Amino acid sequence: MINTFAQIDYLASSGQSVWHRSSAFAKLLLTGWYVGLAVATPSWGVLVLLLVTALALCVSARVPRRLMLAAASTPLMFSLIFVFAHIQADWDEPLILIARPMVASLTAVWLVSTTPYPDLFAPLSRVLPRGVGDSLFLTYRAVFALLARVERMWSALRLRGAMQRPVGQRFGLLGEAVGTVVLSGFDRSQRLYQAMQLRGHSGRICGCRHYLEFTPEDFWVLVAGVWGLGAIFVLGHLRPE
Amino acid sequence: MSHLHIPDGILPPLFWVSGLVITALLLFWSSSANRRSGPRELAFQSSLGGIMLAVMALPVPITAFDYCMTLAGPVGVLLGAGAAFQVSFVVTLILALLGQGGFTVVGLNSLVLGLGAMAARPLYLALAGGLGPARAMAAATALSQLMSTVCWSAILVASVRLTPGVAGEHAVAESLFRIWQQTGAAIVIPILALAVALESLLGYGLGHFLARVRPDLLPGPTRPSSASDRPAAPPAASGSP
Repeated sequence: MINTFAQIDYLASSGQSVWHRSSAFAKLLLTGWYVGLAVATPSWGVLVLLLVTALALCVSARVPRRLMLAAASTPLMFSLIFVFAHIQADWDEPLILIARPMVASLTAVWLVSTTPYPDLFAPLSRVLPRGVGDSLFLTYRAVFALLARVERMWSALRLRGAMQRPVGQRFGLLGEAVGTVVLSGFDRSQRLYQAMQLRGHSGRICGCRHYLEFTPEDFWVLVAGVWGLGAIFVLGHLRPE
Repeated sequence: MSHLHIPDGILPPLFWVSGLVITALLLFWSSSANRRSGPRELAFQSSLGGIMLAVMALPVPITAFDYCMTLAGPVGVLLGAGAAFQVSFVVTLILALLGQGGFTVVGLNSLVLGLGAMAARPLYLALAGGLGPARAMAAATALSQLMSTVCWSAILVASVRLTPGVAGEHAVAESLFRIWQQTGAAIVIPILALAVALESLLGYGLGHFLARVRPDLLPGPTRPSSASDRPAAPPAASGSP
């Protein structure tokens, strides 16, 4: 899991595609547009085109195939519950129920893989309450350090045979091990607090306005947005009767 | 099951719009309740959010399948209602950005995870005096898991019934629902009971560890500690029961 987070973070910060050079705000708008379209449109034609477009965005941004596959398949289980309820002679309603979450999920992975997290969280923190916005930044930073700690804990448990014990004992031991991580998290939070005090924390983590700096590459984001709009006019008539 | 995140485009708009409104209200309430807490509490809250994300990624083997924990109950006990809901929202939002769960349904997913966490501390405080911290933590975790799963199931059942063109109108879907009613409970209820039991064991182990090593991190009256020169734990979030 830490590899996944680290991979996404590295890709977002050091990728060289045209999407990496476009502004965070434009990409956020495009993501909102595509998710809104996916949720609102009753047309399977539009959804299929959006799905192909989202895949193309991910491929052109060099998102690892493993991540794309996870993003595409994760919503399937929940969707299948509704697909079974919609089973009938036609195929278009189940297709819509499967394609909608896949479009949203793939677009989200494209966004987070092409946008460094400070640029991504800064606009979000401006619409969230102050404590929640700050918590967003700090939690993301905490994930990396604590994921490594949790993975070492997990390895230690397995190597020392804790996972070979009866299930009842297994989870109790796991709880005690998680307790060590909680203490580690508490100690880390104390050090972070001291660092924030020393660096003059004034009550809000600075979310830079870098996300609002538009670039020439935003033209391609605009093209992708217009592409979605065109899909509505051209393929919007393809819908279940 | 409480962190089987609902994807975009599946639920009727009535559900996810309501979820967003309720979540927004709870976020502003929790911010108001926690306005006296400072960066020290914020850092601890964020560390626990990071641990939640890390632990969710750990598949614990149980016979032929893996189970992923949430840690929502223990986090609720340690932080209190307001801060626990904020953590649940931040965790859900980060997961949505990774394609695990949708954007439009981030409110509903936060409510599923957060309502259970919010209910944990009151029960812990009511039981800790009589049962001791470890058992009280287990009970609070069980309640949290139950609430989250019931909430998730209620959303699922209600939305399947309210979605146009669902069971009742198609012969295949009708028979599927009949099969579900006859056998679904026999499958789901044991799985639910198992999930609650496993999370409770985890909570027991965590409570047992913290009660021995850092009782000051647990809410309520703390036992006298031999290490009296340890730094004080962050005070319980203001406004939390």
